[in-house]
Formats: sequence, C-alpha cells, structure tokens
Amino acid sequence: MPYKKLRIEVANRVGYILLGAGSRFNKLSITTIRELKRAFTQLEEEESAHAVVLSGYPGESFAAGADIGQMVHFSPGDAFHFAELGQSLFDQIESSSKPVICALNGIAMGGGCDLAMSCDIRIATEGLRIGHSGAKLGIITGFCGTHKLPRIVGKNFAREIFMTSEPYSSADALRMGLVDKVYTTDDFWPQVVLLAEQIATHPQAALAAAKRLINAAEDTDLRSGCLLEREMATHINSLQPSHH
Amino acid sequence: MPERLGTAHTTPDGIAILAISGNRTVTPLKLLEYLQRQTAILAHAEDVNGIMLTGSESGFCCCSADPSTSPHSASQLSGFGQKTMFNLEKTGKPCIAVIEGECTGLGLEIALACDFIVASHSASFGFPGIATGQIPFCGGSQRLTRLVGKSKTKELIYSGDCINAEEAYRIALINRLYPSGEALSQAEKLLEHICTRSPNAIRIGGEVVNAGYDIDLQTACMLERDAFALCFSSFDQREGMQAFLDKRAPHFKGE
Repeated sequence: MPYKKLRIEVANRVGYILLGAGSRFNKLSITTIRELKRAFTQLEEEESAHAVVLSGYPGESFAAGADIGQMVHFSPGDAFHFAELGQSLFDQIESSSKPVICALNGIAMGGGCDLAMSCDIRIATEGLRIGHSGAKLGIITGFCGTHKLPRIVGKNFAREIFMTSEPYSSADALRMGLVDKVYTTDDFWPQVVLLAEQIATHPQAALAAAKRLINAAEDTDLRSGCLLEREMATHINSLQPSHH
Repeated sequence: MPERLGTAHTTPDGIAILAISGNRTVTPLKLLEYLQRQTAILAHAEDVNGIMLTGSESGFCCCSADPSTSPHSASQLSGFGQKTMFNLEKTGKPCIAVIEGECTGLGLEIALACDFIVASHSASFGFPGIATGQIPFCGGSQRLTRLVGKSKTKELIYSGDCINAEEAYRIALINRLYPSGEALSQAEKLLEHICTRSPNAIRIGGEVVNAGYDIDLQTACMLERDAFALCFSSFDQREGMQAFLDKRAPHFKGE
C-alpha cells in the first residue's frame, strides 16, 4: 500500500522517513501515526538500511502536533485509544534495533515534540520551534511526553515548557538538552546525512546492543544494568569475525 | 512581639505573592509551620491561580537548623519539613520560586520544592550547613540530585560553597536569569502568562510529571494515557480546542 503522509528513501545504508504530504504543517493524525508505524516496520526489515533518519525535510515543519480538528470531537474513550496508538509508535521506535536520528527541520510541537523524544539523537535547524501546547488546548500530552521530557531536560524545564505552552527556540532547546546539535539552514541537511552515514558504517549488532543498553539504563538500577552490559558485551565480542 | 515570618497577598490577577523572611535569626520550625499554613490556604483559595514564593529585602532565605538539636527533635523537624515540601509541591497551582539575594540552606530546599526557580543576578545558592555538621533535611539532597545531577550536588553539599546566579543558570538549577532587582516583576509576568492556560491541564500535567518521575517509563506512560483520556471529559478541553479552531483566545474554567 502506498504512503500518503510520508515517503521512504534508502541511500548509503541510511533509511529516510520523510514526513510531508504537501501541507505546510505536518499533523500527527491517526493516519499519519499508522503510516509511521508501517514505515518503521518496513525499515526495520530493510536490510540495506542500518540507521534511520526521521524528518520533515525539505518541508517547512517537522510535525506541528496532533490534528485538532480531529481531536476536538474525541470522547475520553477515543482519546484513550489515540494515546495507545501514539505510545505504541514511540515504543516501536525505541525498541527498533536501528539507531533513529530525528532531524528537526522546523516546528515540532506537542506530539511532534514527543515523536522527536522517542528518537535516539535530535539534530535541529536554527529555526526550530519546539514545545508543548497542551495547556493552551486544555489537555496534557498523551504520547509519553510528560515522562520523556522530564527525563531529557529535567523536571523543572519540563514543567516550565508544559505550563507556558510556548514554542521554544533552538538555542533554548540546546541549553535545556532537548536537542543535541543545532546547525544553520544551509549546514543542516548535509550534517544530518553525514552523521547518519557515519553511524551506519558501524557494526549493526554493536549499535543495536548500545541502543538497548542505553535505553535500559533509564529504568534499571546500576548493578542490574551493569550485569546486562557484561552479558551483552560478551555476546557482541563473540560475534567478532576473529572468533570464527 | 511575635517573630515576623512572612507576608502574603494576592494580586487582582490571581497571583499570590508569598514572601518569607528567612534570615539567620528565624527558627526553621517556625518558618516551616508558617509555610505549611500558607500553603494550605493558597491551595484552597479560589481567587489564587498561581503562586510566587519569594523572600524579603535581605534575600530569599538562609536559615538553617540548630546544630545542638537532639536526634529525636531533628528527626521530627525533618519529617515535618519534608511533609511541608510535599504539600508545597501539590497545591495543584503553578508555583515559581523567585530569588533575589541569598538562597541557601532551608531557603534552597524550599525553592527546590517549587515547580521551577527563576532568579536575578543578585542571587546565590548553596548548602553551607556542612561546616557545622549539617546536611539538607527537607528533601533538598534528593531534589537537587534529580535536578542537577549527583556530581554537582555532591560538590555543593561537601564544599558548602555558594554559587552565583550565572553558575546556577549554567547548571540549570534556575530556569531563567534576570537583571538584579527585576526577578519579581519578570516572574509575575511569566506567571500571569501561565495562568491564561488551562488550570486543569496544568494541575493534571504537574501531577503526572511528579508521579511518573520515580517509576519505570512504561508504567508512567500508562498513567499518562489515562490522565490524557480524562482531559477529554473536561470543559477546558472543549473550550481550548474550539478556541484554537476559531483562532480566538480560550476562556478556561479549570473544570
């Protein structure tokens, strides 16, 4: 089935999921989320892709949040299922064995911010506007943002972002640790490609193990995390060609 | 004359300004009791939408526990102090610590229990109590570690040194840094802006953030999913989204 809300490209071992259906602001509608789930499944199975880039490039926005026209009619039950759908996408991105780079080419509000936080590395253009407008709409986010944001930027910045509901600049986002790197409009895409291609040259098993370990570190006590690391390091080492 | 522990007044815009006077002569227990009482009042006051916790002309607050306290009363004081901070955390209303001048010891613990901290260049922060054998006792060691990390917290508590506002901004102990003397007016503007948002969403959001911070991500996300669904039975959700679609300012009721 063809995609309506995004397209997929694979080049130099990097798989690209590019949001953009022609409109200025990509919205995380039910259809878009379903397509994203399908796209990540496709790239997970795509052997020529060793790393994934998620972006709205070359469009104007990354993802400007949920589709309010759709959401305004939600019952609590609809909202529950919508949250489950979104959370299952983000879980899929985190559980993917491939590194996922989020290339924030523009606006990333609400669900767009949450989508970015489920990726492993966030690179932004200097024109980034990022934040959570839930309190302006009378809701909280349902896509794990209330827990991911405090884990990434700390509770105090997270509370400020939720409370003001304002978009924050790339400089603010960098200071808070919400994005890892910021580039000028001209440098942005070449740098994204460079980093993705560099990562994609590394052994896949090591990348997958590192991703799983780092994600586990968040919710595991240090001793158990170290045990897991030892097991995985031993396993990865046994995969080295010299041992065969 | 009884010790003057602070003043509280509420602006016509619903911003409560609670100014504590925690200089070195103030007894920590008295100050904590005052804070406990005021917190309970502000949590229930219908004309209060947001809270600014600030100090006096002599600074924010720099009092500390009496080193000669017996273990029993130290434990009592710590238990009461921690409870007071938990209550401060769960008023359900946005609460900003606004710092001019010294914010040390119990003062820093109180600031850390607010939603976030803003300060002017005149501010300084630290836990100098180590010199007389004291450590934080109102949850400060735990909240500071979660906010700025283990190493910075250890450096501050072991050394007893104070850091200035620029350093506090650099390590993200404070969210915003203002020119000296402007913290209160700038914070008031920020809080007034926050108070135009849905009180419902702010309360639920704050509670979900706090509840999910110390548990695993999966369980926390389930909690969020349920709270998110709950928002869709509120007036604020219908009003907020309709206002967005109509391109007008929303009028929230907090229900």
